[in-house]
Amino acid sequence: MTYGTTDMTDNKAPAVEVRNLAKHYGDFVALKNVNVSIAAGEYFVLLGPSGGGKTTLLRTLGGFHKPTRGEILLHGRNVGHLPPDKRPTTMVFQAYALFPHMTVTQNVGYGLKVAGLSKARIAEKVDYALEQVGLTQFTHRKPHELSGGQQQRVQLARAIVLDRDILLLDEPLAALDAQLRKDMCLELKHLQEKVGITFIHVTHNQEEAMTVADRIALIANGDLVEYGRARDIYRAPQKSFTASFVGENNMLKGKVAQSNGASIVVDVAGAMLQVDKRDLDVSDGQEVTLSIRSECVSLDRANGSAAASDGLSMIGTYDESVYLGLTTSHLAHLPDGTEMVSRVIAGSDDTPPEAGAPVRLSWKPSDIRLHVE
Amino acid sequence: MNDYDNIWLHRLKWAYLLLVVLTLMTPVIYVMYVSFNANGFGANEYVFTLEWYGLIFSDELLIGALGWTVILALVVTVVAVPMALLSAKYYKAADNKLFPIFLLLSPLFVPPDILGSALLVFFKNLNLVFIWLGDQIGTSLFDSWFRLSFLTATIGLIIYTIPYSFVVILITMGRYRTEQTEAARACGANGWRAFWDIEFPQIRAGVFSACAFTVILVFNEYTRTSLLKGGFDTFTTVLISQMLNTGMSPQSYAMSAMVSFVAIAVIGSIILFTMLRAESLGRIARAKAEPVMS
Repeated sequence: MTYGTTDMTDNKAPAVEVRNLAKHYGDFVALKNVNVSIAAGEYFVLLGPSGGGKTTLLRTLGGFHKPTRGEILLHGRNVGHLPPDKRPTTMVFQAYALFPHMTVTQNVGYGLKVAGLSKARIAEKVDYALEQVGLTQFTHRKPHELSGGQQQRVQLARAIVLDRDILLLDEPLAALDAQLRKDMCLELKHLQEKVGITFIHVTHNQEEAMTVADRIALIANGDLVEYGRARDIYRAPQKSFTASFVGENNMLKGKVAQSNGASIVVDVAGAMLQVDKRDLDVSDGQEVTLSIRSECVSLDRANGSAAASDGLSMIGTYDESVYLGLTTSHLAHLPDGTEMVSRVIAGSDDTPPEAGAPVRLSWKPSDIRLHVE
Repeated sequence: MNDYDNIWLHRLKWAYLLLVVLTLMTPVIYVMYVSFNANGFGANEYVFTLEWYGLIFSDELLIGALGWTVILALVVTVVAVPMALLSAKYYKAADNKLFPIFLLLSPLFVPPDILGSALLVFFKNLNLVFIWLGDQIGTSLFDSWFRLSFLTATIGLIIYTIPYSFVVILITMGRYRTEQTEAARACGANGWRAFWDIEFPQIRAGVFSACAFTVILVFNEYTRTSLLKGGFDTFTTVLISQMLNTGMSPQSYAMSAMVSFVAIAVIGSIILFTMLRAESLGRIARAKAEPVMS
């Protein structure tokens, strides 16, 4: 039973299906022809840089923006024409969305009151929702008497108490400090597993996305660039944008020197690198991008100035090391000036090369990926 | 250096504040003073009396004018404040804010006698147009629609008071976050319910202040009202015409003083209530907001 909307559930259909969705603001195109399908009970994250269109997509799903073109189907029913209060969705906002003149209990129970539930039923459901988010001792406080994390939990309780099928979260942790954000990420994930509804979460923070997501969609410049399981997005990005945005990838630009066979040879700053073709359509002389995650790059002192010739390494010049606590990043540059990073567990190599020393940057065949766009 | 460290600087600040208030209020205080004098304005001897206050209700002209003013103030408030509220809501949601603010505040920049006489000419011509229209279709139904009357005075005062109400409401609305309306919609509330349950309680002070301000403005207004009122008198028009023709009567002083007392009492109560409530809320918040684990 959902409160405040008519039941629109079709169990066979995906929870959310977006078809050819576009949103324009005058000449500005916020979303271009987005297509995506989200299964019921999935934790789906929209990840991307600020201004990319992820919040526009989320707000369009929630009914706060009217699409310029395209369809939004929630559980198989077209809801593009419905206002927010008529959709089987509810939303958690980044901040400032609690009702300041109401107590925690009143905030959480507001949607149930609007739905016309009895006071006893509201009290019962509010208690349960507050228990879910660990706020039972703060029921009579006003929002300004709560910390940022507690305020976001009240928002969560206010959303889940409605038993809607789809919860939209618009950068819910952006206003929290780093440690609290980490804790809340896990809480969100556990809460989603507990309540079992579809969560669609917008963030620009990849660590947050990785922590909570079953699947991640990358959105930039109004385009849905790529989507897939969190692990695949991180380890095997299809698009160069994904590689550049998720994780810390070394992006190498080069030209195809030899395109026959399952693996091709790409000329990058004079080095001939081998890379799996991945059934992509490439031809000799074509400009391509290669990506290698920084933690997959090994950095060793090079003997003399001998050029690497195995297709899986390059010679560069060492610049400096940056200690990051758990890891240390070693920075080097290639002859054409391209910067490369090798990230290792801190302390595993306590004596880095001197700045300006020649170094060999190498990787395994499976760690380098070809991107053609 | 903190100015509280220097007691004379602190006293000087308060003395200056008192001087400003006295400058503003002295004429009103003098009217109050005269209203208690049995010998009236300008008399050599001051004899305290409440007699004039007792006689107010026997002055039919003054009581009639007060009645018309109260009705006018109520009607103008009922129309102007919701219009100002809607305008403020539109303004807050608008992408281009310059044009609507120019339109809404432009009546403030037109001198009252010019706006009043412009409206007078406009209504007189409009009345002629309506009479002509009635003649064309053979009816006298439209003949008095825009003859100078309560309606024309009301329209003139609505035009005058909307910009003030708009500004007062907008100031309160400035602190309101629209995410709260969206959150209410996401909880299942329709647009009206979201406004009534969530937004209105937070801008209520501004709306009530706009109401109080509108009533005071209507009581205070002379030029537009006297030009547009037609066959009735308002409190201010009676007072001013009395003063110009025969000088103010002792009852007029008493009535002016009484209206001032009421206005000061109402505004003072609002300020006092607001201060006490803010202090009380602050005390509760401080008591409750002991450090909590997130």
